Amino acid sequence: MRHIPEEELHSYLDQALSRSQCVEIESHLARCAWCRASRDGIAALRDRTTALLSTLTPVRHRIPPSWESLSLRAAARSSRHVRLGRAGLWAASIAAAVALGWAGQALLHRAPLALPQQAAQAVLNDSGPVQQLALQRPGEHTGTPEAPGPVITPPGRRAGTVTAAKQRVVEERSAPMDSDSSVSAYSPSEPVGSRLSAGGLPSRDFGLSGGGMWRTLSWDNAQRERGESVPRIRGLPVVEVQVAAASRDSSGQPTMIVAQQLRSGQLIHTIEGPATDVTRLLASQRPEGASPWPTMDSDSTAVSDGTMAMRHGDRMLAIQASPSVPADSLRAMIRRLNAANR
Amino acid sequence: MSRVDELERLYQTSYTAVVRFLYRKVWDADRAEDLAQEVFLRLFQHKPEKPRAWIFAVAANLARDEARSAIRRRKHLTLLSTDPTPAPSRVQAADEAVEHDEQMEAVQQALAALTPRDREVLLLWDAGLSYPEIAAQTGLAVGAVGTTLARARKRLVEAYDTQHAQDHAAHS
Repeated sequence: MRHIPEEELHSYLDQALSRSQCVEIESHLARCAWCRASRDGIAALRDRTTALLSTLTPVRHRIPPSWESLSLRAAARSSRHVRLGRAGLWAASIAAAVALGWAGQALLHRAPLALPQQAAQAVLNDSGPVQQLALQRPGEHTGTPEAPGPVITPPGRRAGTVTAAKQRVVEERSAPMDSDSSVSAYSPSEPVGSRLSAGGLPSRDFGLSGGGMWRTLSWDNAQRERGESVPRIRGLPVVEVQVAAASRDSSGQPTMIVAQQLRSGQLIHTIEGPATDVTRLLASQRPEGASPWPTMDSDSTAVSDGTMAMRHGDRMLAIQASPSVPADSLRAMIRRLNAANR
Repeated sequence: MSRVDELERLYQTSYTAVVRFLYRKVWDADRAEDLAQEVFLRLFQHKPEKPRAWIFAVAANLARDEARSAIRRRKHLTLLSTDPTPAPSRVQAADEAVEHDEQMEAVQQALAALTPRDREVLLLWDAGLSYPEIAAQTGLAVGAVGTTLARARKRLVEAYDTQHAQDHAAHS
């Protein structure tokens, strides 16, 4: 009678065999004392290994981070990657511009009659789409050139100016505009101000009871209207943007609420506006029985139940998330937002 | 269960196992925790198809990188300092603690005596991975995992017993 090989008994005890293999082994064990002894020896060896390895367990002093704080860190890291990606695009376009100018000049020195486009093409033949975006021909100037690129100046003609206008459009869309279904629900072609609401907002968990008129905008429309000043956490999809219809502030910039979604599905609201309006809004959000939102001095920070606010002069910036989001994460987010807003 | 819920559940059930797996490679509890958090940050970003096997594959890679940079750091330090580093003057009061430390050191040495492949398979098994998951990560055939584990277990216990006997002889 053939005995069961040792490694097969290991696999059997590790429950790594198929049902039919197990049946075969068990029926053999029932009639073979030698293999039963072998199985018992291997079971003891297995237990001993586990016991020895269990001594190699770290003495832990730290409490593992909550899943929410980990997901926030992951989201923050993604947005950093987007920013680094942008820096890469800039670097690539500047490098392309330098190469273009250099190659163009070299060609012109050799063949003064060569057209700049041809010189440019010679460079672009080996380059990717980023560099091609960076090239703009004369007469197509649509934006302010932000990076003064090298200029090829053949007699009587100026060409090769580098702009990043197109690139800016691409990169801005890449960060907050995901294919989020709730974003597409608010069509970009919808006229600004057509979604007027008084009081309740369509947001799931952010009812405005402070009164006043609010407009709900798509991300595209909000950007068109307010440009770079839309407060948001980069890298997270924007669900909707709400703008107060009137401002009590002399600066004329009304309160704005930007709802963004974490991957966990939770919403995070960023609120920016005149300090008096934002304070009133936060006070109206307090749960019944909770202490009122404190009056804040200029350049101070307050935190309470998933809400953190930072006052800077007459303006105030606040973040409101689920109370499970740790205060540290909120603090880090608001500092970043504040830095980006200035 | 949604994808995110599934990952969260995996985090709750596997975090400790990942820390332990990393600790047995880097031998520094703090560093193991840092690396474990890095593993789960990456898990959140990548959302892989087979997340359980994936986290241990990433953990193994991070530990490997860590070992390489530790070697570089050590070389750098040797170049920088010619003074001998003072020995830690920790006084262990309890005999029990001393014994535990000695046992831990003996197991650590026994583990180091295994071949890298045997050690990896044993640690992955102890972390709770199945034979197919271990096979996928180490490049072994599923059928060879049992053979490798059988050898690794036997060698670990033999190496530990030899080590223990030597220590005992040295003390008496």
